[in-house]
Amino acid sequence: MDVDVIILGTDLRNSILAAALSKAGFTVAHIDNNAYYGGDDASLSIDELRQWTSERRQTAHISTYLLAQHARFTSISSSISSQSQSRQFSISLSPTIIPSAGPLVDSLIASGASRYGGFKLLERVALYSKPGFVKTVPGAKEDVFKSTELSLLDKRRLMRFLMFSISEFEGKGEVAGKEEMPFLTFLRDTFSLNQALANAVAYALAFCSTGSDPTLPALQRIRRYLRSAGRYGASPFFVGHYGGAGEIAQGFCRISAVHGGIYILAKAIASIAVSPPPSHSQPSAVHPPPSTSDQKVAATASTSSRRPITVALQGFPEELTCDVLISTNDYLDANLGSQNTRIANDTANASRSLARCIAVIDRPVVFRNDNSAAPAAPSANSGEGLVEEPQGDDVYSQVDTALLIFPPGSVEGGSTTSAVNVLISGEQSLATPKDHWVLHLSMALITEPLQSAEEIMRPYLNATLSLASPRSEPEREATISEPLSVQPLHTVFYIEHPEPSPSSSPEGTGSHLVYSPPPNSTMMPELADSAVANAEKMFWKITKVLQEIKQKRRGVEEGGAETVIESFWPPISDTSVVDQDW
Amino acid sequence: MSSDAFNSTTALLRMNPELYTVWNYRRNIMTQTMFPASEPAEVNDALTEDLSLTFTLLKQHPKVYVIWNHRRWCLENVPDGPTEDDPQGWKMANWKKELFVVEKMLDADARNFHAWNYRRYILANMANAPPPSTELAYTTRKIEANFSNFSAWHQRSKVLNTLWEEGKLDEKTSKQSEFELVQNAMYTDPDDQSVWIYHAWLIGTGEDASLLHREIASIQELLDEQPDSKWCMESLVRYKRLLLRKHRPSLSVVEGEQLLQDCSALLAKLAETDRLRRQRYLDILQELQRPSS
Repeated sequence: MDVDVIILGTDLRNSILAAALSKAGFTVAHIDNNAYYGGDDASLSIDELRQWTSERRQTAHISTYLLAQHARFTSISSSISSQSQSRQFSISLSPTIIPSAGPLVDSLIASGASRYGGFKLLERVALYSKPGFVKTVPGAKEDVFKSTELSLLDKRRLMRFLMFSISEFEGKGEVAGKEEMPFLTFLRDTFSLNQALANAVAYALAFCSTGSDPTLPALQRIRRYLRSAGRYGASPFFVGHYGGAGEIAQGFCRISAVHGGIYILAKAIASIAVSPPPSHSQPSAVHPPPSTSDQKVAATASTSSRRPITVALQGFPEELTCDVLISTNDYLDANLGSQNTRIANDTANASRSLARCIAVIDRPVVFRNDNSAAPAAPSANSGEGLVEEPQGDDVYSQVDTALLIFPPGSVEGGSTTSAVNVLISGEQSLATPKDHWVLHLSMALITEPLQSAEEIMRPYLNATLSLASPRSEPEREATISEPLSVQPLHTVFYIEHPEPSPSSSPEGTGSHLVYSPPPNSTMMPELADSAVANAEKMFWKITKVLQEIKQKRRGVEEGGAETVIESFWPPISDTSVVDQDW
Repeated sequence: MSSDAFNSTTALLRMNPELYTVWNYRRNIMTQTMFPASEPAEVNDALTEDLSLTFTLLKQHPKVYVIWNHRRWCLENVPDGPTEDDPQGWKMANWKKELFVVEKMLDADARNFHAWNYRRYILANMANAPPPSTELAYTTRKIEANFSNFSAWHQRSKVLNTLWEEGKLDEKTSKQSEFELVQNAMYTDPDDQSVWIYHAWLIGTGEDASLLHREIASIQELLDEQPDSKWCMESLVRYKRLLLRKHRPSLSVVEGEQLLQDCSALLAKLAETDRLRRQRYLDILQELQRPSS
C-alpha cells in the first residue's frame, strides 16, 4: 500500500491533520494500535475502559506503543464492575469543554466534520464551597446584576474587571509590566477584588491551575471565553456528544476517509524502516541522514521513485510505504525517537502531568447554592407576595452537563496549591444512559507527586459526591467524614504524564521524514483549540515537505506549477469532491 | 377588478411594507368593496389573514409604524360573531393571540418600543387582561435579562403607578425596593442611561429631602469608586440643585454654599470630560451662579 503520508495514532491532533491532508489531495493511511478511534483522546465504553486500565498496568508488553503508554499512565488503580449497558457509556480520556468561538469550531465547520457530531452547551460552572454546597460563578452582566451574594461594591469591581478583560488590554496601563505577575495578586492589587471574587475569576473564569499562574495568558483566556459567550447560548462552552474529543476525532477521521484516507485499527506496528535518500546503497534505520545539500546532489543522479519509509503491521499482509511519517511519540521506539523531528509548540506553556479520576455514578449531582454569607438580596418583587419566585428546589439545580471547580485549599486533605476541575456529563451529552453520570476530575501537578493518584484525588471525589443527592433521604448536610450515601459504580484513578519533550533532535536536524506533533494544552478549555493549532502547524510543515519531495521526484529541471495550498481547509464553496454521507 | 387590485396591494406590500398609501388603498378595498358583499364570517377570515400577513412582515420589519397600525385596524374591525349569543367570540379569540404575538416580538428584541406600545394597547383593550401584578413580573423578567432597556423601565413605571393608585401596593415600601433594584443596576453598569432615567422618575419632584440626601450619598459612593462616571456627576448636580430649589429653608447657609460649590466643581469636570455637551454644563453653571431671585 503506497501513500504520501502514514499517520500513527488517531488522537484529535492527528485526526484533524489527516482530514486536512486528505482534503488537500494527499493520500493518507491512518493507523491506530487500539481497536477504537481517538487514541489518548478516545471515548471508551465501560468494558473498553476496563481493558484500557489493565493493558497499561501490565509490565510485559509486545508493542512499542503499549510500552510507552505504560510509562505515561502511571499509578493506575481502578474498580470497575460489570455494567449491563457498557456500550451506552462514552467515557472520555481527555475531558474537554470547547469554546463557542475558536479554532476548533472553525475547523469543525470548515472541514464539514460538524455534521458528524452533536454538541451540548455547558449548563453551569460553579465553585465548590463546602460539603453539599457550591457557589455560582457570575460570568456575564446579567449574572452580576441578579446576584444576591455580591455586595454593590463587589459588583462594580467585578464588572470593571470584566469590561477590561474583554478589551484590547495589551499595552494598557493596568497590565503593563505585570504580565508575569501571579494572576491572583493582579486581581487583588489592580482591580481590588476580594479573595472570593479573585478565586472565582482565576479558577472558574480563567481556569488557572495554581495561584501563581501568570497574568497575561490568564487575561487572554478570559477574553477568548467572554467573546465566546452568547454565540450558541449563555455559556461560552459546549461539550461534544459521546465523550467529546474522541467522537470529534472520529468525525475528522471520517472526513479523511471520505476524501480517500485509509483507516486501519487494532494493529500493532511490527517495524518501521526509514531509508536515507537513494545516494546510499543500503536502507538503514540507524544511519543519520545526510545534510540537505547532499540530498540535492543525490537527487539529480537518482531515477528511483521509491518511497523512503516502510511500515509493517502485525497480522497485516501488506507493507505500507510513504514519503512522510507522522506519529505520536508513543509509537516510535528509541531509534526512531532519535531521528524524529518534533515540531515545537508556539506557546511556552509546558504540558503538565495530570492526576485524574473517572467515576460513574447513578445519582444526580445538585448544585445547591451556599447562601450563608449573602448580603441582603435586592428584590425585584417590589412588595410582598405579589409575584411568586421558584424556590431553590433540588429539581431546578440538578445538573446534567456542568463544571465544578475546586480552588486550592477548598477541600480537607486536598492540595493547597492546585485547583481541581470536575466535568460532569450525563445523558444529555449522550455520555451515559438514563440516570447515570460520569465525573471526570483532573488536577495539574506542579511537582512530582509523592502520593498515588488515588490518594491525591480521593478527597475531591468524596467532596463531589457530597453534592450528589442520596436516594431517599431528605436534604441533610453531608460531611466528608460521614459515610456517604452515594457511592460510585466504577472508579479509575491514574496519573497522566505528558509526551516526552524534544530530546535529541531539535527542529532542523532530524530526518525530515518523521514528525511528531507538539503536545496539546492540558487545560480543559484549551485542549481542543490547541489540538487544532498543533494540527495546522504540522499541516503547513508536512505539505511543504511533501511538495518538495514530489518536485524532486519529478526532477529539478521541471519547474512546473505546483498546486498552491492557500488555506488549512479548502473554501467551503469547493464542491469538486462530492462528500458522500457514510 | 377589486380582487386584482387587492392582490396587487398584497404583492406591493410584501416588497415594501412602508408604502402607507397602499395600506390605505387596501383598507378602502376591504371596507368599500369586499366587506359589503360578504358574510361576517368571511370578513373575520379576511381580517385574520391580514393579521397573519402583518405578522410575517413584522418579523422582517419590526419597527414600521404602518404595519402595527394595520394590525390595530384589523382588530378594531372584527365583526360581532360567531353567533348572536356570542357576539364577542371572534374578537376575544383575536385579542388573545395578540399578547402572544407581542411577546414573541419582545423576545426577539426587548427594546422595540413599537412592541411595548402595542403591548399597552392590547392590555388596555382586551377583555380579561392579566392584572398589573403580572405585568410587573413581566417587566422584572425583561429587566433582569438585560437592564439596558428604556422601554421595560418605562413600562414598569406605568404599572407601578397603576398599582399605587389602586392601592394594591404600598407606595413607600415599593419605592424602597425599586431604589434597591436601581442601585444594583447602577453599580453593575454606571454607564447605562436608562437606569438613571428611572432613578430620576423615582425621585420625582423631590419633595422628600431625606430621600434626596440619602440618594446623593449613595451616588457619591459610586462616584468615589468610579471617578469617571458622567452619569453619577450629572445626577449629583441634578439632585443637589433639587435640594437647593425645594428645601433651601431647611438648609443652613453653610450647607447651601457647599451644595453650590459641589455643583460648580462637578459641572466644571463634566464640561471637561463630556465635551459634546460642554455648553450645556456651562449654561447650568451660569444659571447657578446667578444671584437667586
